[in-house]
Amino acid sequence: MQYDLGTLRKLVHRDHVHRSVYLDPQLFTLEMARIFGRGWVYVGHDSLVPNPGDFLTTRIGTQPVVLSRHTDGKIHVIYNSCGHRGAIVCNEEKGNAKLFRCCYHGWTFKTNGDLDAVAMPRGYGTSFDPRDPALGMGRLPRVETYRGFVFASLASDGPSLEEHLGFARTSIDELVDRAPDGEIDLSAGVHRYMFRGNWKLQLENSVDMYHVPFSHESSVSRSGRQFDRGTGQQAGSAISDRGSAAQKWEQRSAWGSRSSGHGYAGHQPVAEEENTDPIHRAYVTLLEKRHGKERTREILQPKRHNTAFFPNMTLQALNQHVRVIVPISVDRTEVNVYPIRLKGAPDEMNRQFVRHLNLTHSAASLIQTDDLECFRRCQEGLASQGSDWVWFARGVETDREDERGDYVNNGTVEVQQRAQFAAWIKLMTAEA
Amino acid sequence: MAANTNSIAPSMPAWADERAIERFLIREVGLLDERRFEDWRDLFTEDGHYWVPLRWGQDSPDGESSLFYDDRKIMATRFERLRHPNIHSQSPAHRTCRIVGNVVIERIDAALGEVHVASNMIMTDYRQRVSRVFSGRVHHLLRRNGDDFKIVLKKVELTNCDDVFELIAVPF
Repeated sequence: MQYDLGTLRKLVHRDHVHRSVYLDPQLFTLEMARIFGRGWVYVGHDSLVPNPGDFLTTRIGTQPVVLSRHTDGKIHVIYNSCGHRGAIVCNEEKGNAKLFRCCYHGWTFKTNGDLDAVAMPRGYGTSFDPRDPALGMGRLPRVETYRGFVFASLASDGPSLEEHLGFARTSIDELVDRAPDGEIDLSAGVHRYMFRGNWKLQLENSVDMYHVPFSHESSVSRSGRQFDRGTGQQAGSAISDRGSAAQKWEQRSAWGSRSSGHGYAGHQPVAEEENTDPIHRAYVTLLEKRHGKERTREILQPKRHNTAFFPNMTLQALNQHVRVIVPISVDRTEVNVYPIRLKGAPDEMNRQFVRHLNLTHSAASLIQTDDLECFRRCQEGLASQGSDWVWFARGVETDREDERGDYVNNGTVEVQQRAQFAAWIKLMTAEA
Repeated sequence: MAANTNSIAPSMPAWADERAIERFLIREVGLLDERRFEDWRDLFTEDGHYWVPLRWGQDSPDGESSLFYDDRKIMATRFERLRHPNIHSQSPAHRTCRIVGNVVIERIDAALGEVHVASNMIMTDYRQRVSRVFSGRVHHLLRRNGDDFKIVLKKVELTNCDDVFELIAVPF
């Protein structure tokens, strides 16, 4: 099937989308070109490359790239491909290098991607110009950082990162402001897993508050509460699809931007009891020293549960982590989960963050494994011709517009997914 | 008790018998294959831990992510969930088969009644047309408990510890 603009527009309606958006390899190729190949994509965090020469290898869409801190301290994102024959240059997951050296014919590159030297240069004639930028590893034209979060775009022009983040930026602020030193650190390891499903299944799910009592039923005890998710809590979240717990869930805020595709689900009713844990008290004192009592109370007031930054990064506040979605093919996706440590917070508190995340979001965890199972079942089930449509209709009549023209609503609605697909079709049908 | 005429050093206390330790390790993984998770948990001391690092050469679970780092409380939560009738990721459950071998007693602390044991493991699992193979070096710190042992620490160094995993439900 050929996808002209008219055909593409028929795939996405306000509250339902055609199942082929999860299934068709041609649409996946278009997504890699028009979504991952043009707009801002999250690449990594500056705490993963703290020193000059530090690098890590990752992907933007299906393209291998290197996030690198050059000798001048500046962060670059460069294609992980030799300017000579195209081999992967940085073969390690991360490291530190003065120069990058290709294994094949020994060409070397500076840590900003520029060609440093060609091996045995006398073998080349006059038509060969080692200063030709095409012989370097190739820098991505736009790289910007917001409070440590590094984004890059393969397109040389377009909206600025600040415009792209828009109001969703405040979810990053809320998280980073909780660090007594005003910075976060993502270098405490990474949980990596794979599921046999389309990448959008993970993006939708990260801000889906409707699935929790059902997908995660097995993590809820007979009392209707989940296991506790942090030291000092008396019990976990009250999770129920009925009664007072359900009412509370319907009060949470929900927001989604039709232009950018970002969205968040508001605070989860957890830890209604005051946290009297001495480590937590020590942390609050540190924050108060920096911000004063009133601002500290404001910072600690939980507002966001999950935020999804279209197309490939999510932030969770409850078991705090950055999640990165890596599309492999139309029906295969990898997910990288980085625990967040708050710089300046008590060591023991940061150790507990890392430890609790093992339990909730490792590949062997008590939460994430249920989602992975649901993603696989979606991908298999969508092959059925029983119905062509996937529904995001929950709350569509009660969506309101805020002053930015974004959607707002409350509770377990599917407003965030509606916003994701509004942005998806906008990008997929945009002029190059 | 008959004198042990094997090549064990004279200082080796009788309780730290290599064959008894090997039998213990075989019994331990058998409980997991039989999904007798609560019985498996009972093999651990009150302060016992089960640890599967995510990084090759990772020497501490503190401050760094692990695939598993369970104390007995977490194990209880984990196994309560595994018994839940609506655990979707285990409907149907993984079937597993484990082999323990190359058992080596690395160190004995006679005063504490503790023995450090290393072994190799291979585990296959199967669920809904997907078969996997896991292997690794396993380190046990065992504490003497009458004629038997308790596990103070079981650390599993997976050969592919830093792999991209599909969902994992049960300990190795």
